[in-house]
Amino acid sequence: MGFTPVLHSEWLKIRTLRSLPGALLALFAATTAFSALAGSDGSSDPDFDPLFTALSGVLPGQIAAISFGAMAVSSEYHGGALRLTLAAVPQRGRWFAAKVTAIAVPALLVGLVTACTAYVVARAGLGSAANGITTGEEVRGVLGCGIYLMLMALFAAGLTAVFRSGVATLSLLIPFILVVSFVIGDAAGTVADFLPDKAGQIVLHQTYDGTLGPWSGLAVTALWTTAALLAGAWSVRRRDA
Amino acid sequence: MTSIEVQALTKEYGTSRAVADLTFTVLPGRVTGFLGPNGAGKSTTMRLVLGLDRPTSGTATIGGRAYATLNEPLRHVGALLDAQAAHGSRTARDHLRALAVSNRVAVRRVDEVLEETGLTSVARRRVKTYSLGMRQRLGIAAALLGDPEVVMLDEPSNGLDPEGIIWIRALLRRLAGEGRTVLVSSHLMNETASFADHLVVLGRGRLLADTPMREFIDARVEPRVRVRTTDVTALKAALDRHGHDAVEHEDGHWTVRHARVDDIGRIASQAGVPLLELAAEEATLEQAYLDLTASETEFTAQRQEA
Repeated sequence: MGFTPVLHSEWLKIRTLRSLPGALLALFAATTAFSALAGSDGSSDPDFDPLFTALSGVLPGQIAAISFGAMAVSSEYHGGALRLTLAAVPQRGRWFAAKVTAIAVPALLVGLVTACTAYVVARAGLGSAANGITTGEEVRGVLGCGIYLMLMALFAAGLTAVFRSGVATLSLLIPFILVVSFVIGDAAGTVADFLPDKAGQIVLHQTYDGTLGPWSGLAVTALWTTAALLAGAWSVRRRDA
Repeated sequence: MTSIEVQALTKEYGTSRAVADLTFTVLPGRVTGFLGPNGAGKSTTMRLVLGLDRPTSGTATIGGRAYATLNEPLRHVGALLDAQAAHGSRTARDHLRALAVSNRVAVRRVDEVLEETGLTSVARRRVKTYSLGMRQRLGIAAALLGDPEVVMLDEPSNGLDPEGIIWIRALLRRLAGEGRTVLVSSHLMNETASFADHLVVLGRGRLLADTPMREFIDARVEPRVRVRTTDVTALKAALDRHGHDAVEHEDGHWTVRHARVDDIGRIASQAGVPLLELAAEEATLEQAYLDLTASETEFTAQRQEA
């Protein structure tokens, strides 16, 4: 059987579960709102980075992206849903690839629209403080932001397939992003730069120092995501459903 | 025609054997009842047939092919494993649509199976508002979606109301009548007796019986005759003469064990005993099943002692 019908089915499943489009809407709303807030707040900080300030709504907003990825997979681990799914599509690898694609595409599209909107709104608030941002940096920040949100959604999706539980994934990732990464991240050091969220966030900054640049940072996040997805795929393929 | 073939199938979870060296075939054109107490391995066997669990050894095939190698399997095999499989926040129609699309089943079939299972009026309601009986119907609708030649239902009458039980009985008979292969698990004997032609009985993961239902019952339950008379002494004397053993019941009727109505009727008539009632006591599947499992328990008890 082909990939397209399976992908269509997985897309239908995401569309028809109200909480999933809801999570994407929350991603847009939270990111835009927090960016707008940061933009109007001004630039008293000496470490002020106008590009990151404009996109800083992503920090709280990414929780919605993570929830989207986690819930899209965890809906298969309720009361034997996965058995029904795999009875319809016994090629487990193909099924998981379709699921991942059906998460990646809307997450990327909504992520890009969100990044664009958040940037425009925050920039209006920042006014002349943001004059130093070049067009290249704008494009890099917005594009990177969309990709970053997609990668985080997929990272959560992979972990959920490993844990077979959305609650486990969210109770690991949310404290990690809000607390651990924040605390260790400020303590600096090169190891913290390679954490999945910290590495990917470099692309949101106008200026950066350290081992990783914007794209290599995003590549590190992509590696984390790939590892999580491979582990998830292994779990789906090897374990009894 | 497509049958389900199970060959030397074994599934171990850690040290416990859920299914042990199971071999049987489910043939098309009849309803096969899959019996056994809870935990006997019925659901595990069904999961193994569907390729959801990996067998420790042995094979399970459908029409000679492993389930995972079927192209668009919903068109060949329909299964109800768990009524909770549909996500509570999705509507029944969307749930079936997502399934149909994955196997390129026409969306028209979604409305057909909803109609067939009596869910049309609630099809656009979220599944979490459904009763257990409605979820069972939705699970059956999903099983019928691809118009499959093989239908496997795990405890389908769970939670169904009396009307639903009559409906599913007719449905199973019809599916078998259309030449499909129908395997239905249950732990309810009277329910199974009402629709099954053939029985596969499991106990502790092992095959206890694989026989036509009628034979299964006749081989295990002694025939009995129920008789009522106005002249008890004459009846008793006549039965004694022919070596029949009769037991009296409180309400005044007698039960003659190991006897058929043809014999008892003749004996009574020859002796001129007036009869008010003469009937064969219908042997039930439940009696036969309990007889089988009782001997099975003895067998396992003896084995453990040895």
